[in-house]
Amino acid sequence: MEIITKFFRSTVAGPLVAFLLVSATASLATDRFLMPANLSNVSLQVATVAVVSIGATLVILTGGIDLSPGSTVALVCCTLAILVKKMGVPLPVGIFLVLLLGVACGAINGFFSTYGKIPSFIVTLATMSIYRGLAFLITKGTPIFSVSDSLEPLFYGRFIGIPLPFYYVVVLYALAALFLRNTISGRAIYAVGGNESAARLTGIAVNRSKMVAFLIAGLSAGIGGVLLTAWLNSGSPNYGAELGLQSIAAAVIGGASLVGGYGSMIASLIGALTVAVVQNGLNLLAVPASWQEITLGIVIVAAVGLDMWKSSIGRGLGSLFRQS
Amino acid sequence: MSELTAEQVHTEDLPPKEPIWEVHSIHKAFPGVQALDDVSMAVFPGEVHALLGENGSGKSTLAKCIAGVHPPEKGEILYKGQVQNFRHPMDARAAGVATIYQEFSLVPSLTVAENIYLGRYPRTPLGGIDWSAARKATQKVLEQLSLSIDPDEVVRTLSVAEQQLVEIAKAISLESSLLIMDEPTAALGLVETQRLMELIRRLTAQNKAIIYISHRLDEVFEIADRVTILKDGKRVITSPISKLKMGDVVRAMIGFDIEQHYPKHYNASPEVCLRVEHLSTETGVQDVSFSVHVGEVLGLGGMLGSGRTEIARAIYGMDKITSGTIAFDGHKSGFRSPREAVDAGVGMLPENRKTDGCFFNFEGPKNITISRLKELLTGPFLSLRKENKYGETYIQRMNIPPTALDRSVQYLSGGNQQKVIVARWLFSQARLLIMDEPTQGIDIGAKLEVYNVINELTASGISIILITSDFPELLAMSDRIAVVRDGRILEVIPASQLSEYQLIGMATGAGTSEDVERTTAED
Repeated sequence: MEIITKFFRSTVAGPLVAFLLVSATASLATDRFLMPANLSNVSLQVATVAVVSIGATLVILTGGIDLSPGSTVALVCCTLAILVKKMGVPLPVGIFLVLLLGVACGAINGFFSTYGKIPSFIVTLATMSIYRGLAFLITKGTPIFSVSDSLEPLFYGRFIGIPLPFYYVVVLYALAALFLRNTISGRAIYAVGGNESAARLTGIAVNRSKMVAFLIAGLSAGIGGVLLTAWLNSGSPNYGAELGLQSIAAAVIGGASLVGGYGSMIASLIGALTVAVVQNGLNLLAVPASWQEITLGIVIVAAVGLDMWKSSIGRGLGSLFRQS
Repeated sequence: MSELTAEQVHTEDLPPKEPIWEVHSIHKAFPGVQALDDVSMAVFPGEVHALLGENGSGKSTLAKCIAGVHPPEKGEILYKGQVQNFRHPMDARAAGVATIYQEFSLVPSLTVAENIYLGRYPRTPLGGIDWSAARKATQKVLEQLSLSIDPDEVVRTLSVAEQQLVEIAKAISLESSLLIMDEPTAALGLVETQRLMELIRRLTAQNKAIIYISHRLDEVFEIADRVTILKDGKRVITSPISKLKMGDVVRAMIGFDIEQHYPKHYNASPEVCLRVEHLSTETGVQDVSFSVHVGEVLGLGGMLGSGRTEIARAIYGMDKITSGTIAFDGHKSGFRSPREAVDAGVGMLPENRKTDGCFFNFEGPKNITISRLKELLTGPFLSLRKENKYGETYIQRMNIPPTALDRSVQYLSGGNQQKVIVARWLFSQARLLIMDEPTQGIDIGAKLEVYNVINELTASGISIILITSDFPELLAMSDRIAVVRDGRILEVIPASQLSEYQLIGMATGAGTSEDVERTTAED
């Protein structure tokens, strides 16, 4: 019984229960959900949002918010397409350059919201518009298709029968979790989000910590952009429009608090998976897009509610087991 | 003590009136604790009834039961003999109970008048809000308190003390028959406290009843008529205050004798740890010079707003220095940020441990190690095992409940939270510790522990700059006291040669030490 109460007190309990509920519903609603072909499809669908959520989580942990990653992704996609297809830059060089671009986008967000003292919500609201505008500018509004033949294998390739994006996600999350749990910078991010004033008084470089979070957010949006370009083998200024909010949704479903200081990488990954499973399940059931959006909204509220109410649910279940 | 039972009190010492408010054998439990166990109490019109007890003794819970915040599980609340059934604070307010809580209930972005009449604005005939009436009424309440605060001032811009006074004004404006004050002076300086005492006397003259909760016993003895002491949710005694001595009250509260209220050890050595010369800042510190010796407690004695906090902030690198030097352990330059101060070996116990000290998203160990994370590195990574080991060591050493090991420090009492922050600076091997109101809002038992910690720290060669509004505490725990007024240090005097009366005189400008017999005390 102790284990049950303890589990419900832990931070991943709420998100995990939400994820299992959503998965169970999906597998009951359609036989195809649990088929290997579909599951590997899910892992493809989850990859971009999961990678972008790494950055979203870090920024949220510092007590900030990043609305811009969707636009960063679009700008990265278009730049990569132009570099490789129109300017003939070798693919690896192109990828390296657009990752730098992603970091630069994050640096701009970070600079203005820390040293510039403008709330991150406002800064990233502005850059959300600016980055996407730039994507339209450099492509003149037209998508660029068939970017490179060697791009698709990066996304559709398999290793021991499992799609490559699965490995990307696992490796990136492992690195992010290690950074967050076991480095001074990672701990500082929690401290800044938990109590900024106390962090400053204990000698933590508050602005630098926030900057680090935004830089990594830019990088993760950059990686997300590369993955999206490889997935669709094209770049369009319209890409990634939903990614900004979905990555926030993933972090929030994972139990991250928008006040800062609470949340973890593993929980955000579960959150991203939940978002992906909802979409996949509804796709399988041929639910129209409008209803998909509505359902996602309901899932966000339900998942966060589960997290808020989990301790009382845990107590309730605990006493239920004790009685029997 | 033991011969003073509750029954006797009831038969002998009732004021010759009917009680206006009564509680009858109230029971209230929270998960894991019986917060109130069969507690009864009667309050008479025109009486100040002090409610005392350590943190967790149930006094705030009792106040909240009367105020309708927590409905009691058993027992009754009576107004003039009529049973009241409060299910909501609004019910209690309507019945005439006004409460001043420890936590502020003001909205920072609204003006004083808007706050005081929040939710009950006077209306114009057209149904709009009658702002001029609200402003006038506010002005009147503020005048009652003889406060020179503009009703149109935004609350955020007021000092903490002023905010607390506005809070009190708000409660008074409710025209209630019972006023519950939960630690009303915690954030107040001496002058404001005296003003509040006067106000309380005026209110009781109008036959209002007051339940007064405070950790400052000197205040209680000054203002209260009767006292009820709770311990572990049970009533220990109700008695007229005139029949009790300070020692009786302390013993009833903590259950044992404190032989020495202030167990001061003198550990100062001749070496100098910090030397401040001709320090001035943009925040109003003017040409301040003093030094702190190794193992010494230097008290900064001054009223709220005297500049004592600003001096500390300047040393800690929080405010810009316009002229002068600060030399810490040979560091000639002073610090440009708290980060530099921390790296050099200075630590700070901030006045407000909730907003500036504790990380509520961290358990005990992470709160302790945060100031010297480098110590935990194994290669490039933090070793969580090392962290837990250190955490365990320091939690044990500071006598903090072991639950702090794996639960958030928000579940600790104020005193234990304070000890966690002390442990943080012990872990970071700070050699100078600035303590700003280290015992504010914590109970006597915990205060005693803080004093013992101060002794331990100085014994191990740590120097302390102590800031506290509790002058008896300042005088008892400091080696020397620098008297601060208007951003200047008037004098540095050995604490043993200064009485509270003299200190107050100097700090308020009512008198200087020239009137006082003493030997010179330069370092």
